[in-house]
Amino acid sequence: MVERKKIEIPADAKVKVSVGPEEKFPFDISPMYEGERIRKEDMFVELGGPKQVKFELVLALPMDQVEDMKVTLVGPDLDEMKEGESYPYGMLYYIAGSKVETDLEPVIERRNHDFQNYIEGYMHLNQRYDIWVRISKNAVKKGLKSLIQIAKATMMLYKNELPFIEKIEAVYITDKNLVEKILKEIAMPIYDERDRRVETLHDEDVQEFYSCTLCQSFAPTNVCIVSPDRPSLCGAITWFDGRAAAKVDPEGPNKAVPKGELLDPIGGEYSGVNEFAKRESGGEYDRIKLHSFFEFPHTSCGCFEVIGFYMPEVDGIGWVHRGYPHPAPNGLTFSTMAGQTGGGKQVKGFLGVGIAYFRSKKFIQADGGWYRVVWMPKELKERVAKYIPEDIRDKIATEENAKTIEELKEFLKKVDHPVVKGVVRKVDGKKITEGWPEVVEVKEEKVEAKPEVAAPAQAPTAAVQPAVQAVPTAPMPIPAMPAFQLPMPMPSQQAAPAGIKLIIKDAKITIGKIVLKKKGEK
Amino acid sequence: MTAIAVTGKGGTGKTLVSALLIHFISKKSRKVLAVDADPDSNLSDALGVEVERTLGDVREIFQVSRDEMGTMNKEQWLEGKIYETICECNGFDLLVMGRPEGEGCYCFANSLLRGILRKLTRHYEFVIIDSEAGLEHFSRKTIDSADYVIVVTDMSKKGLATASRIKQLVKELKLNFKDIMLIANRISSEEAEKRIREFSEREKMKLLEVLPYDERVVELDLKGLPVVNLDESSEVYRRMRKVAEVFLKG
Repeated sequence: MVERKKIEIPADAKVKVSVGPEEKFPFDISPMYEGERIRKEDMFVELGGPKQVKFELVLALPMDQVEDMKVTLVGPDLDEMKEGESYPYGMLYYIAGSKVETDLEPVIERRNHDFQNYIEGYMHLNQRYDIWVRISKNAVKKGLKSLIQIAKATMMLYKNELPFIEKIEAVYITDKNLVEKILKEIAMPIYDERDRRVETLHDEDVQEFYSCTLCQSFAPTNVCIVSPDRPSLCGAITWFDGRAAAKVDPEGPNKAVPKGELLDPIGGEYSGVNEFAKRESGGEYDRIKLHSFFEFPHTSCGCFEVIGFYMPEVDGIGWVHRGYPHPAPNGLTFSTMAGQTGGGKQVKGFLGVGIAYFRSKKFIQADGGWYRVVWMPKELKERVAKYIPEDIRDKIATEENAKTIEELKEFLKKVDHPVVKGVVRKVDGKKITEGWPEVVEVKEEKVEAKPEVAAPAQAPTAAVQPAVQAVPTAPMPIPAMPAFQLPMPMPSQQAAPAGIKLIIKDAKITIGKIVLKKKGEK
Repeated sequence: MTAIAVTGKGGTGKTLVSALLIHFISKKSRKVLAVDADPDSNLSDALGVEVERTLGDVREIFQVSRDEMGTMNKEQWLEGKIYETICECNGFDLLVMGRPEGEGCYCFANSLLRGILRKLTRHYEFVIIDSEAGLEHFSRKTIDSADYVIVVTDMSKKGLATASRIKQLVKELKLNFKDIMLIANRISSEEAEKRIREFSEREKMKLLEVLPYDERVVELDLKGLPVVNLDESSEVYRRMRKVAEVFLKG
């Protein structure tokens, strides 16, 4: 972690210092000024923006290091600037308080945008190394003389709006060299450090998750739970976005969900999430496991970027994204599966996720994670390739390796994919699937049973296995949908040309043995 | 803030009306936002300005790069990009909505956009929106309301049918508008004018102005020159100034 300390101000720099609150400001301060766009024609100067080096940064320091309501301005002030020009700009705040932690820095830093936009005649855009500020001619006409006035107003708002900030001190910089130096040596490493948090922060590290009910207009029972290890299905909202939104508008579509008690560390089940889901779905369902594919999976709204589908024939999971127009090996396209799965239901055997979920360390960990994944379109696989563990990466088929279940089986056997011999769950070392039954044994049985159909013998053998070993832990993954017709390559397709249609509703199937006989045969 | 939506069947002169309204109103008000909400029209050409990027482009960039944004605040990212996209033209700002949504879910992006545009637009005195007849941005609430809806039509049966349909749609969308009005364009005979007056009475849409067929407009159109190049010698120009004055008086 980058060390948090005060910056060094070069001895020869031009410095202005002011301590203590300002009595009066020559500008209005109110949320009604938010969004005010200062046009080029009305602008006195531009600070930061497309042509200049700039940054804003909040640093949490120990109480004794922060001098409350002190402003240091390094570089030229407004009265030394030329109208119509743009200048480098750095805004640095030191904050302290018994509840102030390093983790809060980014949240507090983002509020600079809100507070500064409350200032009449001052436009603040963007964040971090991208900030863009304009000060209007009108503000200068009304008496704005110094950036120190801006800093004091901002600090005042910080303390009023966020009372846990007990002390705040600001350093504003318009000196190009110093802005550049602080940006490079301090700010950038801290921004990088924060972004790495996305990868290193896990469900167990936080007290609250966030909900998202943006989709409820068309999926009324859908509740997205966004946790550090599980971004929203639509791919748009991370835990950090949820936190920011909930802080700004606690009654908005993103609400804090206290985790409560951890009920299942592997599946990712929390009492707080269950209670919340029950309430927000109108009692439609009362359990959710964040990292489970089969057991109480997360609901799917319809927005999801990728859909996962279980293929009992190989006892593995395939994924297909919205942009892949062809049928997956199970014979279904994204849109067909999405139509069956969406609408805010828990559908066993299908799961909608956001692409960012493939980055998660807990990616369907209850069901074997990546080691249970057998197929995804090449485009999707390439997009997430670096998050796939190396020892499984080449064993996951794409449409180049397999377009049908049969081709997929061949491929998986050839590369010795874990599903063939049984998947061992990485998180606790438990063997969760049995693997495919011995191919040879079944084949012999078949041949004995019906020597007449010897020719297509290889095909049915392959097709028979699925039901035999359908996930011991979960019932057959048939969505609880009205008469969902599974276009599984059932033995019928190869062995019985009559064409059998199987319609299975809410069924749990375990089959010890299937013997196929030709019509009239005894 | 007064928001005026100009709509009508494609080819009726909707963009001509929008451009001239923007032209006249921005001469009197310093705070005018022009919005091109019709992917098929070209308001910027009619106004004689160049636009580099549209809100649709920004939304697409957002959709593909959001996974790489780390812990950055996405709303502020989007807001910054939209403000950068707004063209600072001579006398007015111009925002081009651009292409429609691609695949995938836009719930989050649109929810952010709504908030950003609401905050942005309230600071202008006039927001003038050139919108396609389906009023998509209104139905998606990316643009939340319009005080006045101006429907532009010519004498074609389709133009009039579209005008009636828009009136119905505006009602269904609950835009909370104060008035829905009609501007008839390319009216070259008394008979045509009489018919359009009957139409306006029947549909209970106030006839704001009747614009004659104007060779100058056709000529500019052919040469691909901005319609704001028209001058006092054009009847359309003079009549549109009168329309603008109605709104400037409030």
